[in-house]
Amino acid sequence: MKSILLMFVLSLSVFAQSNEVKNYIKTLELEVLKVEPTFKGFDIKRGEEIFTSKHIGKKGKEISCVSCHTNDLSKKGENFFTGKVIEPLSPKANSERLSSVKSVKKWLRRNFKDVYNREGTAKEKGDVLTYINTK
Amino acid sequence: MRALIFIFVLFSTGLFADDYGYSYSKGVAPVSNELYKNECASCHFAYQPGLLPERSWIKLMSNLEDHFDTDASLEPEDNKKILRYLIDNSADKFTNYKRSRKINQSIRSYDTPIAVSQTPYFKKEHREIRKDLITQKEVKSLSNCMACHTTADKGIYSERYINIPNYGRWDD
Repeated sequence: MKSILLMFVLSLSVFAQSNEVKNYIKTLELEVLKVEPTFKGFDIKRGEEIFTSKHIGKKGKEISCVSCHTNDLSKKGENFFTGKVIEPLSPKANSERLSSVKSVKKWLRRNFKDVYNREGTAKEKGDVLTYINTK
Repeated sequence: MRALIFIFVLFSTGLFADDYGYSYSKGVAPVSNELYKNECASCHFAYQPGLLPERSWIKLMSNLEDHFDTDASLEPEDNKKILRYLIDNSADKFTNYKRSRKINQSIRSYDTPIAVSQTPYFKKEHREIRKDLITQKEVKSLSNCMACHTTADKGIYSERYINIPNYGRWDD
């Protein structure tokens, strides 16, 4: 009985956390609508392009998100520069992903700078999160 | 009996320098902070705070936006907490650990290296390693401690636990 109760509480917290990220994506949408009133919503295809396209990153080398996370988000990746193993990015394969807004914001900020050498716009962030969510 | 227990305690706490590499006083104090592990070791090896002196950690943590050409910025409160941990356990405070002492002693007082691999002691210890063994894909660079030092995460860098990929054990 205790374990069932525990599982229930745990699943509740997971649910609550993903809601937190859902709300964050909603605020990104509102931000986009301010500058683009005809905005139709975040797009998986645009997100995929953001994730897979190569750019001259912060280190001056051509790099993409795929360079570290690989093309298969359900699998482990490896930091392109340090070789450190990266746990899967797909929320389906790794329940910790897209569960905390603090963590999502931190990695979007860092990784956009690493790959694009600038911060991402609200639209780009929403698109890429939507893409990751389907993987 | 009491004396026996006392000796046992002495051995188990590693006060006697031993030949088996289990004694932490030979290496560097292992990492003991979860926030540090979570935030820093998601991208690279969790370098023990005892591998650099206090002034190095202060300099490094003040510019995480440009951390070895990567953005590693943190929320200010997390940065503060991690810096406190690094300072409290830095090489100039843990001189009872052999590696901390040697690294710290090797750095000139007017230098503030922000990479362990820039310290004179580290350079001296790694100077004989062939370049291709370092740049090979299993290692990538000298910053990747665990690639060869199989017990680096325990703070043990003894020669007997070195295993260089595609080369094997290292004997001076």
